[in-house]
Amino acid sequence: MAFRAARWSWSRAGLQRLAVALLWLGHGVWVFLGPHPSRHWAALTGSVSRPAQGLAAHWADWRANRRDAGRTLAQVRAENAQLSAELAQLKVQAAQNAPRLAEADEAVRLLALKKQIPLDLTSARVIFATRPATFGGLILDRGLDAGLVPDQGVIVPEGIVGRLWSVGGTQSKVLPADAPNASVAVMLMRSRATGVLQGLGSGRALIRYVSNQEVVQVGEAVLTSGLDRVFSRGLLVGYVAEVTQGDLELRVVVNLAAPLDRVSHVLLLPPQPPLEVQPPFIEPDQKPQPRKRGTP
Amino acid sequence: MRLAAPSITRQNLFCALLLGLLLLCAPFPRIQLILHAMLVLALAPRAGAPLPTVLWALAAGWALEGSLRLYPHLGGTAWADMSVALLAGWMAGRWPLEGLKGWLARLAAFCVLQTLLVHGAVRLATVSHPWGWSWLLVLATLPLWGWLAWRMLHAGAGRR
Repeated sequence: MAFRAARWSWSRAGLQRLAVALLWLGHGVWVFLGPHPSRHWAALTGSVSRPAQGLAAHWADWRANRRDAGRTLAQVRAENAQLSAELAQLKVQAAQNAPRLAEADEAVRLLALKKQIPLDLTSARVIFATRPATFGGLILDRGLDAGLVPDQGVIVPEGIVGRLWSVGGTQSKVLPADAPNASVAVMLMRSRATGVLQGLGSGRALIRYVSNQEVVQVGEAVLTSGLDRVFSRGLLVGYVAEVTQGDLELRVVVNLAAPLDRVSHVLLLPPQPPLEVQPPFIEPDQKPQPRKRGTP
Repeated sequence: MRLAAPSITRQNLFCALLLGLLLLCAPFPRIQLILHAMLVLALAPRAGAPLPTVLWALAAGWALEGSLRLYPHLGGTAWADMSVALLAGWMAGRWPLEGLKGWLARLAAFCVLQTLLVHGAVRLATVSHPWGWSWLLVLATLPLWGWLAWRMLHAGAGRR
């Protein structure tokens, strides 16, 4: 069998087809590449690297969050330390201001009492107390320089304290109402029975000269009667603690209302005060005018 | 009964005439689109002669895009025109025409195909763009320019 070598050549139709194919493919590539050929490569690499980029982003976020959390914790600790220091400082200030605040409260209460009693009251500060000692008393920072004289009544908002025992140039001594040698003219609020209060010490006192016929109840208020001309009538002295029958008189023990061991400011009544004082907020009674005969 | 193929001289002559009109109608884009469709779908395809078909389609596509100057990267319309014209020429050889109705129906199908292909190619070459309603105008005027192209190509031609 004889082989005839085929001679390869381009035919006219083949060339046309080749030209058409080249034109079509060339245009296709041109269209596909577009104005920025690298964008396809960039899109491909972006698609391939998207998982890695996601992981990297998560890693960066985690590190940033951890850094922020650490910074926040440090800030919170610093703020906590600063607040603790401020709190300690405020506590110290509060402790320093507490006595002054107590004095201010006491002054306010004294001022209110002063407004209720229409007398020329003098205020004084207790600078020393010798009450635990026998026949001890309170030392005030006022004396003759403020016009004080012995036997002026001393009161606080809770009740009476005692009377001035001795007056010096710039200081004076108060004899408390619970001193054994103190005496105050008192009366019981309900029965209106009068007597003399004598001190028993430790904030207690005994009412003398109350008849056995009187009815006295425990807890009954005891007021000043004003008969001693040291206190005006109606000032609170204390409350009945116990009542026992005696041979001739009742034995009435009274708990004094004023906290004698904790008094820091007092008010002093004027010497020889009037027997009755009328509070300013109570209108004086208008006595009805007697009708004249013949008038309607 | 098959229609006789138009003479290649007449076809090239009309293609050149329409290409010139296409360029001259640059101020009127809608008319330009109609002429473009007429040239690519009706006049350029020729069975058994893919190279002239491709060249005329290519020229029509580049002329249209070059005069519109809308896209940052030209060539998409020319490629789509080339593809549609090649397909039309192949179909003309595979299923020869037998009358005006079949011609118009085939033109309508090619018109839709060309619209899709042009927009796809331009989208591929550049970025997404609005389609507009010019394709509908081309489709609506298809009976007119289809009939005209039929008359231009087959006027006086006998049946084979």
